[in-house]
Amino acid sequence: MTGIVAERYTGASIKRSEDPRILTGTGQYVDDVKLPGMLHAAFVRSPLAHGRVLSVDVFAARELPGVVAVLTGADLEAMTIPGQDPLFAMMGGGGPMPEYSLLATDKVRFMGDPVAIVVAESRYLAEDGCELVEVDYDDLPPVASAVFALDAASPAVFANLGDNIIGPHKRNEFGDVAGTFAAADRVAEFRIDVHRHQNVPMEGRGCVASFDADSGFMTMYAATQSVHITKMGVAMRLGMEPDKVRVLAGDIGGSFGLKIGASREELATAAASRALGRPVKWVEDRSENLAASGQAREESFDVRAAVSNDGDLLGLDVKMLLDNGAYPVMGTMVPGIMEMMLPGPYRLAALGFESTAVTTNKASYIAYRGPWASETFVRERVLDLLAKDLGLDPLEIRLRNVAPRTDPPVMMVTGRPLVGVTSKESLERVAQIVDIPAFRRRQAEERARGRYLGIGLATFIEAAPGPRSPEGPSGPMGMEFMRLMLTEDGVVTLFTGQMPHGQGHQTTLAQIAADEFGVPFEQVRVVVGDSAVVPFGLTGGSRSATMTGGVALHGARQLKGKVLDFASHLIEVSARDLEIFDGKVQVRGDPASAIPVGEVARQAASGQFADDVDTNLEVEASFDGGEGGWSGGSHCAIVEVDIETGIVKVERYVAAEDCGALINPAVVEGQIRGGIAQGIGAVLLERSAYDQDGNYQSATFMDYLLPTACDIPRIEIAHLQTVPLDADVNFRGVGEGGMIVAPPTVVNAIEDALAPFGVRIYEQHLPPARILELIAAGDQAQ
Amino acid sequence: MKLPPVEYVAPSTVSEAVALLAEHQDEASVLAGGQSLIPLLALRLAHPAVLIDINGIAELSGVSAPNGWVAIGATTREYVAEESATLAAAVPLLAAALPLIGHEAIRSRGTIGGSLAHADPAAELPAVARALDAEFVVRGPAGERVIPAADWFEGYLTTSRRPDELLVQVRFPVAGPGTGFSFQEVARRHGDFAIVGLAASLTLSGAAISDARLAFAGMSDVPLRATDAEDFLVGQRPSASLFDEAARLAADNTDPPADLHGSSDYRKKVAAALVRRGLRAAADNAGERQ
Amino acid sequence: MDITLRINGETRTGSPEARKTLADFLRDDLELTGTHVGCEHGVCGACTVIVDGRAVRSCLMLAVQAAGSEVTTIEGLAPDGELGTLQQALWDSHSFQCGFCTPGFVMQATAFLRAHPDAGEPEIREALSGNICRCTGYQSIIDGVLLAAERARQS
Repeated sequence: MTGIVAERYTGASIKRSEDPRILTGTGQYVDDVKLPGMLHAAFVRSPLAHGRVLSVDVFAARELPGVVAVLTGADLEAMTIPGQDPLFAMMGGGGPMPEYSLLATDKVRFMGDPVAIVVAESRYLAEDGCELVEVDYDDLPPVASAVFALDAASPAVFANLGDNIIGPHKRNEFGDVAGTFAAADRVAEFRIDVHRHQNVPMEGRGCVASFDADSGFMTMYAATQSVHITKMGVAMRLGMEPDKVRVLAGDIGGSFGLKIGASREELATAAASRALGRPVKWVEDRSENLAASGQAREESFDVRAAVSNDGDLLGLDVKMLLDNGAYPVMGTMVPGIMEMMLPGPYRLAALGFESTAVTTNKASYIAYRGPWASETFVRERVLDLLAKDLGLDPLEIRLRNVAPRTDPPVMMVTGRPLVGVTSKESLERVAQIVDIPAFRRRQAEERARGRYLGIGLATFIEAAPGPRSPEGPSGPMGMEFMRLMLTEDGVVTLFTGQMPHGQGHQTTLAQIAADEFGVPFEQVRVVVGDSAVVPFGLTGGSRSATMTGGVALHGARQLKGKVLDFASHLIEVSARDLEIFDGKVQVRGDPASAIPVGEVARQAASGQFADDVDTNLEVEASFDGGEGGWSGGSHCAIVEVDIETGIVKVERYVAAEDCGALINPAVVEGQIRGGIAQGIGAVLLERSAYDQDGNYQSATFMDYLLPTACDIPRIEIAHLQTVPLDADVNFRGVGEGGMIVAPPTVVNAIEDALAPFGVRIYEQHLPPARILELIAAGDQAQ
Repeated sequence: MKLPPVEYVAPSTVSEAVALLAEHQDEASVLAGGQSLIPLLALRLAHPAVLIDINGIAELSGVSAPNGWVAIGATTREYVAEESATLAAAVPLLAAALPLIGHEAIRSRGTIGGSLAHADPAAELPAVARALDAEFVVRGPAGERVIPAADWFEGYLTTSRRPDELLVQVRFPVAGPGTGFSFQEVARRHGDFAIVGLAASLTLSGAAISDARLAFAGMSDVPLRATDAEDFLVGQRPSASLFDEAARLAADNTDPPADLHGSSDYRKKVAAALVRRGLRAAADNAGERQ
Repeated sequence: MDITLRINGETRTGSPEARKTLADFLRDDLELTGTHVGCEHGVCGACTVIVDGRAVRSCLMLAVQAAGSEVTTIEGLAPDGELGTLQQALWDSHSFQCGFCTPGFVMQATAFLRAHPDAGEPEIREALSGNICRCTGYQSIIDGVLLAAERARQS
């Protein structure tokens, strides 16, 4: 049996079932949760980047009417178990473990580091209380840059580590690096920097922790990408039996990697609730979100590229320094994926990769949509730089180097097969849509008039989930689980550990299950967000399309099998001759025989059948990704640069994408456009800025600038014909791709626009002032 | 980011408001549109003891055009000014700047007086007021006084309004015949504060420039008149090379601030570019006004 | 301070502290949680409501300043559950993803389309440029508003 049985829904832009509540303001986000007796928390936070905490005086705060409790770092140490951030514990990369307390006790390590929690009758009063807490700090010299962190003279951010190396230096080689470089016509060297920027979902972090003293039960209303990981984090750090912790999540206002696990603030809130025996809500405000929730992408790269005079990219040798910030979360996990993905879809013969991650006095380096994305930025930037040196066109050099689709597939030098990859087709498609020769003519005409337009291309692949590997399940984090059941109301319910925060899973998974099982879309319900009821899962890594779409498909098929097996006892026809069509079980082609599935379920529950008849219309399904596959595409941007003001306008943006079979095209396109918007934002507007003393400077929306409707053009998307690899499941992930490839696309276009000035760009953040500096420097260099 | 505790009072006449200001002096903040003041309180950068809400004082709102001036009551909403045909006809430079203030929702509440009393040097209205030599009418316990724009802006977010005075009206001279105008701005995004802004006005008598006004936003701690460039332009005939020279003069003797959005050097370059563009545009539309 | 105001056509009363914003008053005191708080300093637009016919940022108004006013929140647009033209068009256009910015966009677009029913894409983009969305890249929202305008013209 191949493909979905009756594709009424899959592949169509079915309207989302989430939208009626979203459009009427009746969604329930964590800040909408209101419980009887609920209190509100706010945090006293360090104004310094680095300091010793000499004393914390909470007397005046405690005396403020309306303040119910003030807990210091020391208080919380007595109430909790020491540990690491859950993501760091899961994926840390094997480096040294720093020792630190839940809230700061002896030291503060970044501006915004939480020092005490104030719990009061309202958030207003809690903030008033925070202003009354007096903390005496002794300034310590700040480690405000990764370069200084490498210096043995820099003070250790974590005393037990002795130095600031959190991701010890490691070098791996693939292929014959020395030989490739020795034999190459040219070796070019570049230093490329990616700047710090951050997730900034419209809803920040938050939770309502509700501890019931009688039962010893903790209920956490959370905004999280996985109720189970949050539950594990809370149970572990509060020293509770996992069965006594239940995590509930409703609607979530975006995350992009921010809301995973349990943050120090959420754990402190839970501990406070347990200490007080009352619900406590903590919802971070925007300044906390910008300064303290975590940031991403601050890496610098020393790159050597071995290339032939004809433009064959033979080898890359890359040294990365990653600024992990203070408390480790994700930074040490990223190098491994970057290394694996650096070759991209190109026929690279050799790769050397080494990395070091250091701790600094900044907010934590966390996961942000495509955490390894800088591998694409470095590679696609380098290709353009090499093309210029060699007098080649950017499309030409890519087409020359992109691996052909062969059988057996070309192997990435880092070990994974480039099976089913359509990078060549996506490059050709995007070039055809844009009509590059026509653009070049227009570019020349406009240059003569003093207007500077440029065009940029970039291509990428993403392991979403990646091709099947011999070792086991495809994709990060392994198997995907789902429980499916048919109930007497005729509804097929899917219980999934996916935790949608904008992805529309309650619609897309229902589309797949409805088609496979044979009921109308309205008769499928997707249950998420309750750790007592859903299997383990995590929304992240662009896994849900394949892993969850796949388990929904196979699970629905298994459930249908069970239902038909049972129904054969009702209709007394072999199950082979039965089908489920439009919500009814019937003998194939005989509508007169139809019984609504709800009636079948009622019969199954009636207790009338012999013990050897399986009347439990429920399955526990799992899926390992099947044949898996790559996701990817090529993007092209046309920009105009005002050379007097440095303002850049993105005039046109085209994406040719291959994310396998589409479940819901409108959902897919929304994900792609949203990711691209973040990529454009990163290049033109967004920077998490620290000064040389480690003071965070982008703590409001007047300084951390997000792109608006005037900054993002219409984005044209072409969907490529995908190469099916699996008999049934050819959906691939698409959530992160836009954000991975948009930054180099836009930077390449800007460099092309400024070519008359001899500009070369080795960085990702190009605000107007920087554009003018580059033009001036380019002019001088010429 | 919750506001700190504060007392609140909403007088219904100017006299009441003035009496309250006399009583509380520096401990009071005047609340008009709130679009600048409330964020300051939310960020707990300001902790006034009292908020004096003047939105209920009817006489403070409205646009009128007595004798050669357009008088705007201090609590006139920015959107009301934007929709005023009187204002558009009489003070086109102000009308050109208004749509650049934030976004529509900000202009629904923000007031002309509030913006000018807040005196953010990167805001649009202070540059326009300075360019046109607007007049500021304040009322205190001792009565009214009129302060010319040149004396109104004293420093960063600081005006010459005394703590016991209330800004009641701002008036702008009606643009004369042969006057062209342009408001230029470079901002990171549409609706943001200017990194550099320019309020430009040019009057032609016959073929020569008889009056030139250039006032910058974002180039100092107050809106900055480029008087050297203005003096240079008077008596000359408009031309590209003239405007280039004026741009150079205007930008040269400035010492603009550096911040996250631009270095000092960047602002100077942009200032020069805006002067070129602003003068060109103003010269182009000067002929339209008879 | 005791205040009386009209919310979504109903007279409501409350006693907010002077410092309480209209946004917090709507959400906490009146339990109308459809209005969302995204930044509390007037930049993101998530808190947009309509006061006396004008779209305003409810985080930049004190609740006491809305005394005597007519306020419309997202909950007031489809009181009987039947989606209005704009909401239906946004649904049909897959305009939103996580939904957190949505009420602010819907209120801003409602006010804008009332005043400018024939607006085209550039005007709509500018009118909505004070509302931030982190999920969509805006195109689907613009398409939904354009569709709503077109349908309103046809009916």
